[in-house]
Amino acid sequence: MAEYIKLIDTTKCTGCRACQVACKQWNGLPAETTHFTGSYQNPLDLSYNTWTLIRFDEIDVDGNIKWLMRHDACMHCEWPACVKACPSPGALVKTPEGAVVHNPKYCIGCKACMIACPFDVPRYSPEKDEIAKCTLCYDRITNGEKPACVTVCPTGCLDFGPKDEMTEKARARAEEVGGYIYPNNPKYETHVLYVLPGGVDMKAYSHLNPDPKMPATVLWWKNLFKPFTLLGMGGVAGLAALHYLIKGPHEVEEKPSKGGDADGE
Amino acid sequence: MANREGMVRKTDATERMTHWILAGSFLFALFTGLGMMFHHWSIIPTILGGYYAVKWMHIFSGVVFSISLIAVIIMWWVDAGKFVEGDGKWILQAGGYLWDVKDMPPSGKFNAGQKIFFWFVVVFGILLVITGLIMISVLSFPVVVARWAYMLHAMSVFVLASFLMLHIYLGTIGNPGTLQAMLYGWVTREWAQFHCPRWLEEHDKKINAEQE
Repeated sequence: MAEYIKLIDTTKCTGCRACQVACKQWNGLPAETTHFTGSYQNPLDLSYNTWTLIRFDEIDVDGNIKWLMRHDACMHCEWPACVKACPSPGALVKTPEGAVVHNPKYCIGCKACMIACPFDVPRYSPEKDEIAKCTLCYDRITNGEKPACVTVCPTGCLDFGPKDEMTEKARARAEEVGGYIYPNNPKYETHVLYVLPGGVDMKAYSHLNPDPKMPATVLWWKNLFKPFTLLGMGGVAGLAALHYLIKGPHEVEEKPSKGGDADGE
Repeated sequence: MANREGMVRKTDATERMTHWILAGSFLFALFTGLGMMFHHWSIIPTILGGYYAVKWMHIFSGVVFSISLIAVIIMWWVDAGKFVEGDGKWILQAGGYLWDVKDMPPSGKFNAGQKIFFWFVVVFGILLVITGLIMISVLSFPVVVARWAYMLHAMSVFVLASFLMLHIYLGTIGNPGTLQAMLYGWVTREWAQFHCPRWLEEHDKKINAEQE
């Protein structure tokens, strides 16, 4: 099975939000009632029913307002922290295509994935007691279709294809516009790539982790203390057995009995 | 109080029940926790009715553990919480478990090793409870705090579960005649004279005073 990548060329985004609508439509997600807060950001954040949105940021360029528009959704990590943290088998699965898919049937609503995710993507529903997030339209891409958001993008900002092809396209486009590829961490690859324009501080993008990686606490939790718990229990039990065999039990030294309890005499 | 020939009563019913509620809730939380941690151990959630049920069982046993932990700390604070003269020497001689020691300092109700275990249970037990409470309401905390909570929860389990194996060994086959102190409370006078002579002395004094 081929590995795929979703490419987000932010230099082409016009903030039309067709991707938001297409995502809701394909995944059958209800709309949310929102309110104007003085920004074009709408809805304000990802939610259980909003798996992708355009993040609007306003920056000052020579006294003029410039918009930064960024399509935000699950990054579909190659070594997903959410899957590593998830206690329930099958609730979060990394597929051969590269998509990280959640299955509500197995989700137990523990929220460990939300804590582990370096991109703050999974969202929780208290009513359902489960999480939801972008699936890279796994039901579409396994049937030869592109994700719903990519299909409707009118400017070509969103693209989807085989890993090598998209990586090459991202590299060429970054060079063409004098921008750069995000994330750019060979130790934490993702199946979503951005081309971000040059000349803009990465900190100007809201909700963009400048250094995405597996959180160290998750590694310590799952790679160290998890196996250590069994090693510790087995090791101490083994040492105790050795002590019993070599040194023997701590027998009470025989002394003449003083008789019964004092109050019984 | 009933009396038994040649025996002394080491623990009362409250102590034994509190101990076993703490032990039982810890073991249940341990196995449900390991069941969620090791996906190869899905037999545990399968027996108990699935992972969603196990999540709530884990939380519930954690609540029982929290309450009995507080009770144990209050109950044994004086006997096990305070190190006294002789405890240092006991530790330096490894309690006489590893090599032959002629002059063991006389222990009270609990020896220095049991006091160390008590303090491990206090420190890492409280850490388990605090991190567990954070994990129940994990979205109310900054993500850094939440991530540390998961890690420290696992670390505390590693420490306590490992120490528990030593506790079980020393409380059963490692020290013949000891287990009954936590089952029905009575131990032989020889056992008490050997393991906790200072406690036996005080115990006899108390009993004599009651009789006079």
